[in-house]
Amino acid sequence: MAEIKDRASAATAVREAVYKSCMYKDDMNWEKWLNLCDDDFSYAITAYSPEIQRNMTYLSGNREDMRTMMEMLPKHNSDHSPLKRHCSVYEVEVDEENKTATAVSSVLVYQTMLDGVNCHVDSGESKVFLVGRYCDKFRVNEDDVKFIEREVQLDTRRLDKGSHYPI
Amino acid sequence: MAKSRNHAEWNAPPPFKADEYVDSRIYSDEGIFEEELEKIFKKAWIPVCHESELAKAYDFRTVTIAREPVILVRGKDMQVRAFLNVCPHRGNMIERRPSGTFLDGSPSGNPRHMTCMFHAWQFDMKGRCVYISRQEEGYQDRLKKSQVGLRELKCEVYFGGFIWVCLDDDIGMDVKEWSAGALECLQPSLDEEPLEIFHYHKAIIPCNYKLWHDTNCEFYHDYLHYHNRITGFNDGYFARKNMGFDNGHINVGSFEVQYDNYEGFDSRAAISFPHLPPNHWYMIDMFPGVNFNLRGSSLRCDLMTPLGPDKVMIEFRGLGLKSDDEATRRHRIEHHNSIWGPFGRNLHEDLLAVTGQGVSMDAQAEPRKILHGRHENETIHDENGMRHFYEEWGRWMNRSPSDPTKPFSEPSKAESKSKEEALA
Repeated sequence: MAEIKDRASAATAVREAVYKSCMYKDDMNWEKWLNLCDDDFSYAITAYSPEIQRNMTYLSGNREDMRTMMEMLPKHNSDHSPLKRHCSVYEVEVDEENKTATAVSSVLVYQTMLDGVNCHVDSGESKVFLVGRYCDKFRVNEDDVKFIEREVQLDTRRLDKGSHYPI
Repeated sequence: MAKSRNHAEWNAPPPFKADEYVDSRIYSDEGIFEEELEKIFKKAWIPVCHESELAKAYDFRTVTIAREPVILVRGKDMQVRAFLNVCPHRGNMIERRPSGTFLDGSPSGNPRHMTCMFHAWQFDMKGRCVYISRQEEGYQDRLKKSQVGLRELKCEVYFGGFIWVCLDDDIGMDVKEWSAGALECLQPSLDEEPLEIFHYHKAIIPCNYKLWHDTNCEFYHDYLHYHNRITGFNDGYFARKNMGFDNGHINVGSFEVQYDNYEGFDSRAAISFPHLPPNHWYMIDMFPGVNFNLRGSSLRCDLMTPLGPDKVMIEFRGLGLKSDDEATRRHRIEHHNSIWGPFGRNLHEDLLAVTGQGVSMDAQAEPRKILHGRHENETIHDENGMRHFYEEWGRWMNRSPSDPTKPFSEPSKAESKSKEEALA
């Protein structure tokens, strides 16, 4: 792991962590994803609804909640169509003391159909599953950065069958 | 000995009475679907949204019933009224947004009015036309504002603040009569204090609306849900009763859910709805496509808007108590969405299942017999709820659900009696 000696190297580490989080989740490697997160990590999927004019929270939990949820997946019936996250980090801000950082990223999630509808017809077809932003907070350590908060702010509210996977 | 079946055997009627299965054409036929819009959806009371979605004077909300655009507005007198969201001039949809306020003016009109942007005709919150641009120049004295008011619809706020609309002026009954007692099991819990919406999302699913309603009416499908098996499936669960009410409505009785049995979940008892025993769970299915579902701490309402024989929009709402403090509301939202949200454990499973039904009941697919012949003393895995729904559906459509090419025939008194005796 690279030493984080200044705010510029912290910002680089933040960008790398955001992209790694996408790759690990794309690969459904939940353990590696959670290893990017600190013990006090919190996760939420939120959206603003112009229909009811309210901020909503579609899913929330801490690190342990996320781990439990992923461990329980084999007991549930899920749409196994894989999700791929296309992400661009728009903004990184590291605090003056180089202790914490925030990042805002655009995220587009594509779903490649597998068993969600009629696999004979649909499998292999990719479509946009949702559109949103990652709003992340990090703790900056001596040799890495750790997620302490991820809020996935969705624009998409028509989610059809939905998903058992975190975004 | 059990064996697979050839084509003739596969297509033979099941060893059940005619009211214990349906023909899949009722889920896929374009003509039947169009008939359902006319004969059912344009004639029934539909709870289109909740009053907290238009809480203040001049707030509005737009919805659709049987392809008709509808607008709900709260007047200065705080009364909610419903109108066709259609301008009487050129038939344009008046309001395009899903919700908002008329307190602000629009590019073509004044504050406190509904304005059709096309030619700037304006209407007040009671649906009266109050402005026609260049009226005298164009219409001289041939057209008066009083002749071009909006089409007002029957509208009632009932049952925990839900706003019910009916397109039929001649329905001849209010919502209470329409519900025929089906709402009573939850009325004390929902009417004790004002409710407030906290969740909304929608799904458009490639299946017939009745397949979603069926899923809400039968609990035999709890084998689909690990969560429900592990937190239910005890003596109390299997004793739950399904009850039918007039007009095709259904109740599913309650029991105490053991939420702690699911890893990561906890009891809902501390923030139960008023008058509801801790961790209890009631379900009401209203004909033709509405569901109220109270799991202890949060209320879910599904509203089905059929878009085609093989396409339904389902709007999911979550509600808590208006008096909730921030922490209580957060817990209610967690409880609701961990099971019923778009990323929750159960809703995704239910939607996968009906999607699969939709695939196999494509309009061009060979008609199939869809069974609901389980009898278990009208308890939770009995399929009497669906049988009750389809009896009413047959009556409204004058079609036999098991053979929709034939007219509906009322079950004879003798049949009903023998059925009751068999169950006893």
